[in-house]
Amino acid sequence: MKALASKLVDLTQKNAEKIAWQWAKDVKSNHKTNSYHNAPEEKIIGQAAEFYKYFQEMFSHETPFERAEEVFQKYTRQRHAEGVPLHEAVYALILMRRHIWLYAEFQTIFIAEAEHRKAVESLSRTILMFDYIIYVVTKEYWKLMSPEVTKN
Amino acid sequence: MQSSYATKLIDLIESKAENIAKQWAADVMKHNRTPSYHSLRKDLVIEQGVNFYRLFRQMSLAEIPYNEAKNFSWKYAEEFYQQKIPLHEALYALILMRRHLWLYAEFQGTFVTALEKQQAVESLNRTILMFDYVSYQVTEKYQELAIDNVNKKLGGVKSFLMGKLIGGTKNIYKILVMAILLIAACVITYYNHTTGTAVVFTHLFYIPIILAAIWWGKKGVLVSVFLAALILLSHAFYLKDVPFTDDAVRSAMFIIIGGVVGWLMDSVKKLKELYESLA
Repeated sequence: MKALASKLVDLTQKNAEKIAWQWAKDVKSNHKTNSYHNAPEEKIIGQAAEFYKYFQEMFSHETPFERAEEVFQKYTRQRHAEGVPLHEAVYALILMRRHIWLYAEFQTIFIAEAEHRKAVESLSRTILMFDYIIYVVTKEYWKLMSPEVTKN
Repeated sequence: MQSSYATKLIDLIESKAENIAKQWAADVMKHNRTPSYHSLRKDLVIEQGVNFYRLFRQMSLAEIPYNEAKNFSWKYAEEFYQQKIPLHEALYALILMRRHLWLYAEFQGTFVTALEKQQAVESLNRTILMFDYVSYQVTEKYQELAIDNVNKKLGGVKSFLMGKLIGGTKNIYKILVMAILLIAACVITYYNHTTGTAVVFTHLFYIPIILAAIWWGKKGVLVSVFLAALILLSHAFYLKDVPFTDDAVRSAMFIIIGGVVGWLMDSVKKLKELYESLA
C-alpha cells in the first residue's frame, strides 16, 4: 500500500507550499470557515505547510494513528487558542485533504488506465490518514472545551 | 444532479441498507475508538445506520445535497448527544459507516472492469463529499447542543452577571449606590454609638458588602475593610467603656464574608467568560 501511495506523498512533499497556498485561498473565502477570513495569509499558509509536513511523516509511519496522536495535539491546541470553532477546524482539515487530491488531479499524476487502481488506493490511504487526524483533533478539542461544556 | 456513474453504488446502498447497517453496528459496538457505543441498544444503532445509507440516495436526488444532509445530521447529533456519546466517537462512527459502505461495495465486486475502476474513483469522491457535509453538520450541531446545555446550567448566573440585575452595567451607578450606602452606614454608626441604642445595626452592613463583592469581586473587599474600620474607630471614640470584643468579631466577619463572596464571584465570572468564548 505504501509503495502505491508514494507518488501522491512525493507530490505533496515537493509541493507542500503550493498546495498550502491554494488551501489558504480557499479557506479564506469559504463560508464554512469564517474564522479564517481575517487571518493573515502568511500565517495560515505556514500553518498548512506544517500540517502537510506532519501528514507526510504520518503517511509513511509504521503506526500512523499513534503518530497522529503525537503530532496533531499541538496543532489542535494552537487552533483552539486562536478561537477557531471546532466545526470550522474540522472543515479546514477536510479542505486540506481535498486540496491534496485536487492538486494531484490537476497534475494528472494518475493518467494511465493501469494507474486508476493506484489512484483508488492512494485516495483510500489519504482518507484513512485524515480519518485518524479528524478523530485525534476532535477528541483533543472536545477535551480542551471545559468539562462543564462537554458534559451533558 | 444524480450522475450515472454513481447509480450503481446508489442502487447497491438502497437495496442493502439494512445489511450494511448491521455490519456497521457490529463493528461500532465493539470498536476501541467508539467505546460509548458498546452499551447502546443495537436496534437504535442499526436504525441510525439505515437512515444514513438511505440518505445517500436522497442526497443524490436533491437539488442542494448539503441541505438534504441536515435532516439526518441534526437528528444523528441530537440522538447521540443525548446518549452522552462524545463528539469524536460520533464522528468516528460516521467514518466507520463510510468505510462499511465501501467495504460492502468491494466485497460485492461492484467495480471490476477498467471503466468501473474509474467510476469507482468518482463514486468514492462522491461518497466522501457526502461524509464531509455530514461530519461538518454533526460537529456544528454538537457544539450548538453543548452551548444550549451551558445556557441552561448557567442561565440564571449569566443574566445576573450580564448586569441585568442589581445596578445594571454602568460602573458610575454602582459607585453612586455604594457611596450612598456607605454614607448611610456612617450616619447609622454615629447615631447608634452616640445614643447608645442597643440595636444590632451592623447586620445592615452586609448589604453593601455583598453588593461590592458581586460587582467588583475580590476588589470589593475594600468596602468590608472600610466598614470594619468604621465600627472599630467609632467604638474607640464613642464607646470607650465597652469592651472591643463584639465589634472586633463583627469587623473580622465583614472582611471574611466580603472576601469569600468576592472570590466566588470572580470564579463565576470566569465561567461566564468560558461561556462567551464558546458562544
